[in-house]
Amino acid sequence: MRTKLQIIISALMILSVALAACGPSTPAAVTPVTVIETREVMITPTPAPEGPITITFWHIYSEAEMNMLEDTLIPKFEAEHPNVKVQSVQIPYAEFRRKLLTAISGGTAPDLIRSDIIWVPEFAYMGATVALDELMPDFEQYANSVFEGPLATNFFNGHYYGLPLDTNNRVLVYNKDMFKAAGIEAPPTTLDEFLADCEKIKQLGEGKYCYADYGTYAWAVNPFIWSFGGDITDPNYTVSTGYLNGPNTRAAYEFLKKLVDEGYMHPGILGGGLDAWGGFGNDEIAMILEGPWFPTIFGTEKDYGFALMPAGPGGHISVVGGEDIVMFQQSQHKEEAADFIRFILSEDSQVAMASVGQMPVLKTFAEPGSPIDLDFYGIFFEQAKTARARTPHPNFTKIEAIYQNAGLAYLRGEQSFEEAFNAAVAQIDPLLKLEP
Amino acid sequence: MSLSYSRRKIATAYLFILPGLLLFLIFVIYPIAKAFQMSFYEWNIMPGKPNEFIGLGNYIRAYNDPIVRLSLTNTIVYTIITVPTGMILALLSALLLNQIRRGKVFFRTLYYLPVITSWVIVSFLFRYFFQSPKGILNNLLVNTFHIIKEPISWLQNTPTAFIPIWALGIWKEIGWAMVIFLAALQTIPTELYEAAELDGANAWKRLINVTLPLIRPTLVFVLVVLMIGGFNVFTSVFLITNGGPLQRTEVILSYMFHQAFDYLDFGYGTAISFLLAAIIIILSFLQIRFLRKPEEII
Repeated sequence: MRTKLQIIISALMILSVALAACGPSTPAAVTPVTVIETREVMITPTPAPEGPITITFWHIYSEAEMNMLEDTLIPKFEAEHPNVKVQSVQIPYAEFRRKLLTAISGGTAPDLIRSDIIWVPEFAYMGATVALDELMPDFEQYANSVFEGPLATNFFNGHYYGLPLDTNNRVLVYNKDMFKAAGIEAPPTTLDEFLADCEKIKQLGEGKYCYADYGTYAWAVNPFIWSFGGDITDPNYTVSTGYLNGPNTRAAYEFLKKLVDEGYMHPGILGGGLDAWGGFGNDEIAMILEGPWFPTIFGTEKDYGFALMPAGPGGHISVVGGEDIVMFQQSQHKEEAADFIRFILSEDSQVAMASVGQMPVLKTFAEPGSPIDLDFYGIFFEQAKTARARTPHPNFTKIEAIYQNAGLAYLRGEQSFEEAFNAAVAQIDPLLKLEP
Repeated sequence: MSLSYSRRKIATAYLFILPGLLLFLIFVIYPIAKAFQMSFYEWNIMPGKPNEFIGLGNYIRAYNDPIVRLSLTNTIVYTIITVPTGMILALLSALLLNQIRRGKVFFRTLYYLPVITSWVIVSFLFRYFFQSPKGILNNLLVNTFHIIKEPISWLQNTPTAFIPIWALGIWKEIGWAMVIFLAALQTIPTELYEAAELDGANAWKRLINVTLPLIRPTLVFVLVVLMIGGFNVFTSVFLITNGGPLQRTEVILSYMFHQAFDYLDFGYGTAISFLLAAIIIILSFLQIRFLRKPEEII
């Protein structure tokens, strides 16, 4: 009797697994109630053809930005498009690219993402994304309404694989309390003044740092390289020899090394942990480079000011950041996804996102009569005029890792500039050449 | 339907095994086989795009890659440092715990707590402890106990960057090994100790001549399991140093992860993980073959 019962139970277990695996096409056999229940739980419901379509949108918005998106913008879009539901998925920056690539290789990429501008060429080169200039008949209209710099980050091999969603750049944020204590009246406008101010800030005593950043990656070092007139590659991104190891880039790294050696720079740039915002708030760090999200997240209680990236021989050149909205080939609802792109680039949506710290990309917003707060965004629009984008290349991640390590080895004093950077360009040059 | 009783029993057993076996085949065996295939290709992560067969290319590249060698050395050093230290501390605490009469459950729980805490959370905590110049540890060493004058840049240099990683590994191992040792100690008949005592054996001799030989199979088991764990160290390295500075604290799995998921070199990544698997299998086999007596091998 017991054996029979065991056979029945095990048979039911197998049947339930098999049914769950087969999906909705399995006919409901004459089976006990328990099996039917299991089946109901485990099958993913297939949406009926007439029901609402869901488009998935992955992003890295901060809390306030995400609330604006989910509580205001998406409901508005869904009201305008009753047939479409937008599923917003927030993923931390550090995990975003890996998670996305896993999804792409599994054939389950989201319809749309808010992509770091630096990833767009890589996705396009892989053939994962949709050329929006081919898909959207009204693409020109949108392309003409946005800033050219951010738009250019979408261009790869003759096509535009996205549209800019928001832009940003790094400007100098200075700690007014520390400047006052050190007797400095105005923020530095040149890198020479920057160095002189650092000397004064060092006089404030032990544990006071003039400047801090988290490492030697592109976002951190490129503003210095460009402001010294150096570069990573030639303007066409085909070769780094003579640029990354050139004399102007060298001057930039020597400047950074001086900051480290003199104790002006927080040692966190060499690795080992740093809380730059905490240090800034506690009057331990006098200057950082930050983007327009800073006040929203850091708060406005502390007394600080904004200034342009201090100028060197190459000008006061900062780094362009920001995000593009990108559509994936694996999307089943490209038309609806394109509608969402049009919606999110509308003036109203851009104003809404600007109110929570997202710097808009519409050209008209930089002009007088702008619907957004130019008192605040003005400095970023000003910096945007000269700010430049990091190497827009499918191999950017590898290229960046190479010069990040070279810079670190040099700043730590383990290798001379020639040793570190001649080796770096030898590795980077082959990466710049793409197989068709 | 005239199956004999024993046949029916076997059929039942198979039916019970089947669901688990299916899951095992689909979610463990299939991915391993797929990964093995990938390790011979220049693998393209886009579905439907062609993959280029390069034979042993990825394995040869790994053999010549200086960072693979460095990360292998780091992995071996991690295992050599954490496994014996963890085992000795675990055995000591098991011996002590075996003797106390009151509070046994309390201490057992206390020592086991690290095992059930999340690697991720503890790794973050360790990273904060070891921050410089203002981490908790530096603060204690410089300001509270005045042991050192200048704060140490723990995570900026090797070998100090390994210290939090090793410490975390040992801290995690002790609890688990201790519980296993404790179980083994309780199987030793007290008569043996009494007899040894009558023969004039002191505590040290009783440990060497009675306790250790009798828990030998357990020692080997714990050694093998901890060694496999040591070679698989990943979470702590990934979160505390992420292989830095300058890839010097990279271990095999973190390097594999960077190759596969940062540089999308899945073929190379899988080749590295199969090299690791081969090393672990060979070492485990050798350990069991030479450390266990023939009658102990099942």
